[in-house]
Amino acid sequence: MNEAEPLSSAAYEVADDFEANELYQKNGWTDGLPIVAPTESRVRAFVAAASLSPDAVVGVEPVRRRRITAEKIAIAAVMAGCLPEYMPVVVAIVKALCEPQYGLHGSSASTGGSAPFIVVNGPIRNELGMNATHNVFANGSRANAAIGRSIRLFILNVLGGIPGQLDRSTLGHPGKFSFCVAEDEEDSAWTPLSVERGIPPGESAITVMAVESPHQIMNEWTHDPREILDTYAAAVRANMLTYSIWEGNYAIVVPKQHRQIFNAAGWAKQQIREYLYETCRVARREWRTVGKAAVAGRKDEERVYRALRTPDDLLVVAAGGPAGGFGAIVPPWYGQKSLAVTMQI
Amino acid sequence: MKVLDPRLDAHGEALQPARALPSLNGSVIALLDNAKIGTARFYDFVEEILTKEHGVREFIRRRKPDTTRPVPAQMLAEMSGADALISGIGD
Repeated sequence: MNEAEPLSSAAYEVADDFEANELYQKNGWTDGLPIVAPTESRVRAFVAAASLSPDAVVGVEPVRRRRITAEKIAIAAVMAGCLPEYMPVVVAIVKALCEPQYGLHGSSASTGGSAPFIVVNGPIRNELGMNATHNVFANGSRANAAIGRSIRLFILNVLGGIPGQLDRSTLGHPGKFSFCVAEDEEDSAWTPLSVERGIPPGESAITVMAVESPHQIMNEWTHDPREILDTYAAAVRANMLTYSIWEGNYAIVVPKQHRQIFNAAGWAKQQIREYLYETCRVARREWRTVGKAAVAGRKDEERVYRALRTPDDLLVVAAGGPAGGFGAIVPPWYGQKSLAVTMQI
Repeated sequence: MKVLDPRLDAHGEALQPARALPSLNGSVIALLDNAKIGTARFYDFVEEILTKEHGVREFIRRRKPDTTRPVPAQMLAEMSGADALISGIGD
């Protein structure tokens, strides 16, 4: 990138990094955690790392028509603690979020309080030192944490997703700080998520999905793949009854201990999807068992609702530490109002 | 050191409130339902109050097909003859 290319953002003079952080905290431009000061030179380096011009329009938010430039994405990435080489991943995520099917405006504004769940596939995971194993939903890798956080800061500052203003979340959830994982391709016999979703093998890609908080399940008491999946299905059904009954994408994150059971039984991701498609369903009358009798009777109570429109609605992700029968369901924000998007980096 | 403003629009988006109608008496009001569960019933009360207490002559009521997305252009066009439009947001 030419150093002479102008940056469009307003600039503020501060004494040092400490004062910069204080300025951003005072103005509500952060998630409450300290930020790295987005100086001109840092932002230029990040834009260059994405091979873009500062004014390049990476995407347009479909509802409010906000034209999102590389410069603003770079500022968010610097603030979040990214390294320049993370930029192609961050840019791909923003592009994916701008796809109409993702429903970025609705999912950012909803009282339901969703977060983008980001799954990274391909060689870039290892190039950036991403974590796919121990403590995968939490701390363990700078890249996981900073990439996820950059998206929250982007939503906050570029889209105006300010709590109490555009962001009307009643509770939100901790994933709104950062929720980015790498899939464990090296220790998995399964087809990577990105390949299942149309990306050529060997290419780096991201998948984003608007989600509620993940719910962890545990089953260490069986080697029967069906029984393992019955535990996941129970969590999905509980989510349908207690949160949202509407069908759409769900993700499950499957740790090595469970994957070994599926591998021994010869079960690939497709069989898992088909089994959960059949078992993840509830009858409307079951709402009466969870305090929702007031709405159960509004329609046919024998109607059966599925979690998934088709087996392909289920995202099966191999991740987590090598020991422990702890998996998770990652439920959708709101049925089909937002659908997962996969994009090559 | 100089640091950059992270916002897309450093000056914010200036909102221009719609000009008030000189009178509601005899007016046509559009009520855009955002497809949330309680909106229709709420609008029933709004309609009753505006009719009885303010003399509104007619209402054009439409319900968005999707809570989370903008009103379709065709639906908006159907309400364009109204003197004012009330758009439901949130719950």
